[in-house]
Amino acid sequence: MSEPGHRYVSTDRRVREDRRFVVGKGRYVADIGLPNTKHVALLTCPYPAARIKSIDKSAALAMPGVHYVLDGAELAAATLPLMTGLETPNVPRRPLAHEVARYAGEWVAAVVADSRALAEDAAEKVKVVYEKLPFVLDAEQALEKSSPLVHEAHGSNVLLDKTFTWGEVDRDFAAAPRKLSLRVKWGRSSTVPIETFGVVASWDPWRDMLDVYASIQMPRYSDQIGIALKLPASSVRVHYDVDVGGSYGVKRGIKHTVLVGYLSRRLGFPVRLIEDRLENMRGGDAHGPERLFDVEVAFDDQGIVKSMKLRALENVGAYAGRSPFQLGKPIGAIVGPYKIKSVQYRAMAVVTNKTTQEAVRGFGQAPTNVAIERTVDEVAEVLGLDPIEIRRRNMIRHEDFPYTIPSGTTYDSGDYHTVIDKVLKHTSYEDLKRERDALRAQGKLAGIGIAACLEPSGGNAMFEALLNPKITTTTFMDSCRITVDGIGSITATMHTTSSGQGHETLVGTVIGEVLQLDPELIRVTRPDSLNSLPSGTPVGSRMAIMLGGAAFHAANKLKAKLIAIGAHDLGIAPERAVYERGEVYDRNAPEKRRAWADLVQIAYRNFHRMPADMEPGLSVSHVMQVPTGGKLPDASGRVQMYPCTSFEFHMILISIDPALGRPQIVKYRVGHDCGTVINPKIVRGMTMGGIAHGIGAALYEEFAYDGEGQLMAQNFMDYLLPSSHEVPAVEIVHHCTPSPHTVLGQKGSGESGYLGAPAGIANAINDALRPLGISINTLPIKVAVLGDLIAAAQEKKE
Amino acid sequence: MKLDIGGEEIFEVGIETLWRALNDPAVLVKCIPGCKEMIPQGDDRFKLILNLKVASVGGSFEGEISLSDKQPPGQCKVAVSVSGTLGQGSGAATFSLEQQPSGTLMRYSGEGEIGGLVAGVGQRILKGVAKHLIGLFFKSLRRETAAPVPQ
Repeated sequence: MSEPGHRYVSTDRRVREDRRFVVGKGRYVADIGLPNTKHVALLTCPYPAARIKSIDKSAALAMPGVHYVLDGAELAAATLPLMTGLETPNVPRRPLAHEVARYAGEWVAAVVADSRALAEDAAEKVKVVYEKLPFVLDAEQALEKSSPLVHEAHGSNVLLDKTFTWGEVDRDFAAAPRKLSLRVKWGRSSTVPIETFGVVASWDPWRDMLDVYASIQMPRYSDQIGIALKLPASSVRVHYDVDVGGSYGVKRGIKHTVLVGYLSRRLGFPVRLIEDRLENMRGGDAHGPERLFDVEVAFDDQGIVKSMKLRALENVGAYAGRSPFQLGKPIGAIVGPYKIKSVQYRAMAVVTNKTTQEAVRGFGQAPTNVAIERTVDEVAEVLGLDPIEIRRRNMIRHEDFPYTIPSGTTYDSGDYHTVIDKVLKHTSYEDLKRERDALRAQGKLAGIGIAACLEPSGGNAMFEALLNPKITTTTFMDSCRITVDGIGSITATMHTTSSGQGHETLVGTVIGEVLQLDPELIRVTRPDSLNSLPSGTPVGSRMAIMLGGAAFHAANKLKAKLIAIGAHDLGIAPERAVYERGEVYDRNAPEKRRAWADLVQIAYRNFHRMPADMEPGLSVSHVMQVPTGGKLPDASGRVQMYPCTSFEFHMILISIDPALGRPQIVKYRVGHDCGTVINPKIVRGMTMGGIAHGIGAALYEEFAYDGEGQLMAQNFMDYLLPSSHEVPAVEIVHHCTPSPHTVLGQKGSGESGYLGAPAGIANAINDALRPLGISINTLPIKVAVLGDLIAAAQEKKE
Repeated sequence: MKLDIGGEEIFEVGIETLWRALNDPAVLVKCIPGCKEMIPQGDDRFKLILNLKVASVGGSFEGEISLSDKQPPGQCKVAVSVSGTLGQGSGAATFSLEQQPSGTLMRYSGEGEIGGLVAGVGQRILKGVAKHLIGLFFKSLRRETAAPVPQ
């Protein structure tokens, strides 16, 4: 894993921000105490669809300590709808329901009071008269002509229906001797951070400034606040030095922020909204994908998959938001690690009367990987091939890289066969099969699950332009500024919040590597949005590549400046000067040198010793374009999506108690290649957490609704998270295939583990069920369902 | 979520007494758990004000109760719908009374629907709570219809 020639990169150094987290000294939004802050509680619609006939606020407003009750009509008149990704002007999304509420739990009114408790009590006094409306929950039903319309003015429930054909799909299907089709369902789950979303907004009319502190992870956050509130973004100051207690995509409380931003301007004091668990889970608009796949593949007798047709139907919930784009991101790895020559992809998104979705780790890639990997296993099954063997046959080989897939992305690098070899060297496949068979002999159902998945990383969000041609964005920047102050200490900046990904460690490590200085000496800060350089924020598994890249380039600019100053002062050409650990010396006379303090002295105080035409001081910055980015899709819908692809190979042994239907993971191995690892602890943490998250999505977590449109999983008693009982010890086998596109060869790992675990577990369960002649392709595979399925199959057998 | 409601109860009073009690708002107010007020709206319709508390969870509700398809003294339909901060509930049930040697047998069956917060959070205990509340209703009804104890 450690790359030769690195001083700090790839060494097993501590994650600097973890210190404050483990001692409970993080500074979260709930820790922000502005004087005279008032609190918001929300009144929610109890029905999946209802017209708001009247709202009587009088009893609430009569309570002492209650300042305001805001309804959707007032807010809609004063603000613009929230930004959406697709061109769907008749599906406006607003913080409070206006005229019609479209899911059970949607916010209808906001009460502002001296305390949260008082606001909650007052919310109970607000009387809303509703007229119940017909509703639809199921995505396939929402497609039908007879279905109730979630947004009447839109004329249908379909937000997106776009078919891409890359390559000779019809010809390849016609020519292939074998075909197979499969339906795979990914259940509605998400990431559910322990810290719910929270935001404090404070308007200062004398400075024309809205200060925002939030538990946020969102691109273009301050832009969106400004647009919705009709303020210039220069009047919105987002404070990025707020720790975020977990996110993985979902902390996108733009509706919360517009709401409290408006209230603070309207009322003249700071307003705070911290979701409680119920608000978070049903009304926080933070559900993840709920997707139905219909997969068809054409293959030959050797198991070589020639072509694939994939239809993905996404149930985005009541409003569009950005979530339909989660159908677009997987286009950048639509064939997984395989050499499938042609693909037809139909991406469909419908609105229903469920909670609105947000981005979740992988942005739609994990569900797509399940569809691909379940299908590959089924192909192996009909041909009697081993699941590892069929993958080896279909995988892109090391010598094929760079490899361009049918949808236009060129994979940067990879060595999939070697990763598999390494995992099998670590854990014998034959021994694992023997262990499985021994479990079977004991009367258990047991299965081995294999999954080989990709993690596109680096985040150039070209799916936007693919799914909405009006969007012409071809960049997704990140930036770093480094300043050496007048007494020689170093401060670097990043320009976004973090939710535990260790970005301060990343920046410190990379700059330390370039400057050959102890990373601990490099202060990393987060200026507010008005003092920031552009940042695309931590999405799309991109920060190691983009923030790490920006820090690398900025550090090299600083180094070049130090060399120029030192060389000039030594009276030599810059080419003759050598930089070493903060000092500059003459290559031909190493004793002639300028120490760090000398260089700082010249830059800050001795302008007369500076090279001509050089700015005084030591401050440099770099704004980085995404590697391989910059091009719009071509006419056939081909585009380079993300610059890098990480690889993960999962091998899992699961045992199922046939009486209870309870699965237990006996062994978990994962081979992982994310190029150069900058900090092993961070990558390990990401992978372990990703696997735990994937176990949840595969077996436990679901925002389940009853037939009446009520969310049945609104707390951790009903929305089941895997605990240490369910998450086994995982052994990670590392491999490093550097990316040619990044400064250190690094690739992304922010989604690692999660992108393959659900597929691997689904395959393991199906391997276990195979002797019973049954299969299951609906995730999460819950104990109760599995138990019933096994019992029915056993009865049939007897 | 939907709930099936149904069962039978025997009352040690005559069918006429029971029928009168079931049609008397003054009695019903005392029998419906948490009922604060029943305000007549005409045609056997009443506005209902409830303050319901089960274990540590409580809330105020407003709604309507109506009696219809009356066939005195044997059969009647009851429809209830209430809503409040904790959610909303509605239900319709038919009950029939039959004079028996030991008293009057009441059979009832219907369907209820619970939504909002209580449905999402309390799903596991809702059936139990519904049964408990129905039990409370009958207990009170027995008390109200019992002949006054002679002094």
